Amino acid sequence: MTSAVSLHAVTKRFGEDIIAVDDVDLQIEDGEFFSLLGPSGCGKTTTLRMVAGLEFPTEGSVRIYDEEMGLRPPNKRPVNTVFQSYALFPHMDVAGNVGFGLKMQKFDESDIRRRVGEAIDLVRLTGLERRSPKELSGGQQQRVALARALVNSPKVLLLDEPLGALDLKLRQTMQFELKDIQHEVGITFIYVTHDQGEALTMSDRIGVMKEGRLAQIGSPEDVYESPENLFVAGFVGEMCLLPAVVADPGSVTLNGGEVIRARTSSPRGEPVILTIRPEKLHIYSTAAEAPPDRNALKGSIVRRTFYGESMVYEVQVGLSDTIDVRVENVPGMRRWDVGDQVIIDFHPQAAMALEE
Amino acid sequence: MTLLDERKTAEEEAVSPKLERRARRRESWRGFFHAAPAYVYLTFFFVLPLLIIFVFSFASRSNTGKPLLENWNLDSWTRLVDPLVRTIAVRSLTMAIANTVLCLIIAYPFAYWIATRAKQRTRTLLLIAVLIPFWSNFLVRTYAWRMLLDSDGYITQFGELTGLWGRMLFTQPAVFIGLVYGYLPFMVLPLYAALERMDWGLVEAGRDLYASGSKAFRKITLPLSKPGIIAGSILVFIPSLGAYVTPDILGGAKTNLLGNLIVTQFQAARNWPFGSALSGAILIVMLVATMIYFRTGGRTI
Repeated sequence: MTSAVSLHAVTKRFGEDIIAVDDVDLQIEDGEFFSLLGPSGCGKTTTLRMVAGLEFPTEGSVRIYDEEMGLRPPNKRPVNTVFQSYALFPHMDVAGNVGFGLKMQKFDESDIRRRVGEAIDLVRLTGLERRSPKELSGGQQQRVALARALVNSPKVLLLDEPLGALDLKLRQTMQFELKDIQHEVGITFIYVTHDQGEALTMSDRIGVMKEGRLAQIGSPEDVYESPENLFVAGFVGEMCLLPAVVADPGSVTLNGGEVIRARTSSPRGEPVILTIRPEKLHIYSTAAEAPPDRNALKGSIVRRTFYGESMVYEVQVGLSDTIDVRVENVPGMRRWDVGDQVIIDFHPQAAMALEE
Repeated sequence: MTLLDERKTAEEEAVSPKLERRARRRESWRGFFHAAPAYVYLTFFFVLPLLIIFVFSFASRSNTGKPLLENWNLDSWTRLVDPLVRTIAVRSLTMAIANTVLCLIIAYPFAYWIATRAKQRTRTLLLIAVLIPFWSNFLVRTYAWRMLLDSDGYITQFGELTGLWGRMLFTQPAVFIGLVYGYLPFMVLPLYAALERMDWGLVEAGRDLYASGSKAFRKITLPLSKPGIIAGSILVFIPSLGAYVTPDILGGAKTNLLGNLIVTQFQAARNWPFGSALSGAILIVMLVATMIYFRTGGRTI
């Protein structure tokens, strides 16, 4: 099977000493919703722009459905882009914007009208064809940008942080809508975002980027549950980090001397960082209350923060390390106060030791 | 209670609609005072002279050419349809339009080139280069052209060497060259301002939507730089329609344009009423033309 998009040894340098993308290999499959996730400046947008043809790699090969793109200009590539700032043409109305690509490809007038109508219906903007982009809300502008790209039936749709400018509620609605639209049109989506929540909820696979390189590629669950390195562990979701040393296979020693069972593949004596998700921890007042055969750490509460759906306790363990514990807000939720001595309990599978 | 105490109580008073209105009125008066010097200056040195010209255009003149503020008549205005005036007006108009178009053709690529330089420093240097000619007097620069275009000037010598042209001084092409040279910066600057403001992401979006480079330019860059084109065209067209120095120095007595005609009326011909009527007519034509141009170009300038 051929990949929708395949990057081979792609490097992009700006000037002499800025390496935006560093020797990236990546295969994105047909029909996949693939996200490139990373902090700003990690090279995710540059990678996307190289697929679009808005930027050319310094070295390496970009192939779209097995066709080498080389230095082919953007107008000759079977991809379309939804830009971060939408980039709607201010001197054209909604229909003019959506029909631009078809007009450039010299489709019939009647053909264009029909397909523009369909695309506008698809993104639920029916009736706004004659509006100018200025007269639309942020969410509506976003839909126009989406329709403008989709109307051309590209083989691959590229989305550069398309929801970044929207407010939280709208962003969540649009996430579901984007996913539905992708199902409906059945084309490959490459989605660039710095928002790990967005990447987790929408993607089939995620490529986490750091400093121009791919730190990990995997399904949202892989990336969340089994981060391959500390960067991914820290960037995707919330994570508590505790310095430790590998004791035996399957256990580590913390700074305070406590021995904890954890997932580890490092050799004995190796310094590691123990990673635990706040929602996988439990708090008990005494060791007797905690279930047996699990990890238990003594600590005292230093901060309590209410988030609505949960309460987060910052617990000091040992001399200087702290762990966040998230307690779901359900009827009968127990409360502790700052200064309380508590026992933190967690399953050995919930803790993972990663080398620095 | 001291004055300071009084002010303090006033500030601590809760705001009422009356107080808010008073504050707003004070703000508006302050704005007027800032603008007052300009109002005064323009009233005395722009509006009044214009009115004087308007009044004189209905006056009569004595046998020796002294303007007389009596025997009010429309003679000067009716003389405007004189064939001689029409010939000169058409020539001026053609020259002004041709000058505007040529300036646009030369300035657009240049402004585009400056605006697309990546480094701010490079752009600033190039803009300064455009403005350098303004550091010397316009008259001096025009006389310099006279040297270049005269029999022993480089341009004439080159033309004669290649057999393409002879001495150009005191011909219509000489005036034309001088006008384009003189007004080019007025076209470059607004075009640069418009292109520099351009969101180049829109051009990228166009390229992404299957527009070739030239198509993207015609469909996106050009329409979005329209405010610059309009501003530049007005800045070049209006002064070149009334140009006087350039045609006088480079055109000699041969190329008579509206500007020279008016000057002649006030000086040699000693016909102030007719000169005033000519000036008034040009002013009205330019106002109307500018208004039409603005309307067609949209309100976004």
